Amino acid sequence: MNIKSVKKMVMPEDGTTETNTLKVTDTNDKVYFVPKVNANLDYQDVLEWVAAGNTIEEAD
Amino acid sequence: MSQTKVEAPFVEKVHHFKNLIQNGGMQIWQRGTSATTIPDGVVSTVDRWVMSEGTDGSATSEYDLLSDADRATTGHSYALELNCTGADTSIAAGDRSYIYHSIEAQNCQHLKWGSSAAENLCLSFWVKSNLTGNFSVSMRQEDNTTYYLPLSYTINSANTWEQKVIQISPTAGSTSLITSSNGVINNDNGRGLMIFFGLVWGSNYTGSYSGTPTWTSTADHADSDITFTNFYSSTSNNLYITGVQLEVGNQATEFEHVPHHVELQRCQRYYQQIPHTAATTWQAYPLWGVNANVMSTRLQLPVVMRAAPTGAFVGTRNTDFKAYYNGGYQTLTAESVADTTDDAVRFDMNSSGAFAANAAGGLYINTTDGRITLTAEI
Repeated sequence: MNIKSVKKMVMPEDGTTETNTLKVTDTNDKVYFVPKVNANLDYQDVLEWVAAGNTIEEAD
Repeated sequence: MSQTKVEAPFVEKVHHFKNLIQNGGMQIWQRGTSATTIPDGVVSTVDRWVMSEGTDGSATSEYDLLSDADRATTGHSYALELNCTGADTSIAAGDRSYIYHSIEAQNCQHLKWGSSAAENLCLSFWVKSNLTGNFSVSMRQEDNTTYYLPLSYTINSANTWEQKVIQISPTAGSTSLITSSNGVINNDNGRGLMIFFGLVWGSNYTGSYSGTPTWTSTADHADSDITFTNFYSSTSNNLYITGVQLEVGNQATEFEHVPHHVELQRCQRYYQQIPHTAATTWQAYPLWGVNANVMSTRLQLPVVMRAAPTGAFVGTRNTDFKAYYNGGYQTLTAESVADTTDDAVRFDMNSSGAFAANAAGGLYINTTDGRITLTAEI
């Protein structure tokens, strides 16, 4: 996955509790919802993206 | 009533799920069957097979329905068809293109790799191409130390189905990498083994092994002492493959044909889509009002996935997927997949104040162009 941006998500019930999911936009502007689970390969891509110096945005 | 005694050797030789490869007969195509440009490192068409194209050329993958004559030859109805659509006659060191299949580590435990009792494997498959010559196959053992085994096969006759059989020894090249403790494949849901069918490998991915298959800790997928055919030499080139089987032992046995529904369920452990079937109709799913802006639903998945999946909406909002509430379709402003586990997912559909808390509604998905994909590939 070629990542353009990553944003945290919150539960709509309270608007504050973080979900286990990240909103990931790739370089083709396609949106994916990636769980923060080590066994998920897309989450591994997010971790590599962060390790490369990128930052996950706060939720809207 | 007469009874027939079944002799023990007959029973003992029946090994269900002997094939470590899933969808080796290329019968499951959940994402679609039409020609798709091969991307870089994702499944594009046939389930469980990942395609990667990193050359100055291009290629497509698609579904091939075998003729009756070819089915009689191979015993298979479907094949993966690869076509070169952009030539690259000057392969750079970093160029590479291949398809691969990953085997979940916990399905490899009976191989006993990482011990002196490590089992031999036998890879068999059917292949056809307009090209002849040598092609690469390679294996990667993923856990602990990563090891590679460059292998090869030869297509002898153009445009002719040929079955290839390759024996894989855990001590290939008189090595002890796989039989040492570093060769252990962990008992988990991560990658255990990977089988690569190379279309082209640049020199960064080759090493010199004098034509002798040899395990190595270097990321070599092909033996530089063998001259390989370049799939990207011409836009006339094609390659078909089916009937891929990897089994314990030194001999290729008859391909294990798995019922279609069983193969589909096995593939859905790694990829599912909601709704499953494109049928030019609409599917509806109940929604519950969280508040004026959000309606949600949570679905139990028909097959437990390998891990919590990545979700994505396919299609156009308010066209291919809509939210019905209070007597009509309400305008959606966003949609998301959240709170996923390996057996359930939640969808949140957003509007600008069009919904109401604790009210009921419906998510409608046009099954022709809309769907929600769930991916837990390996």
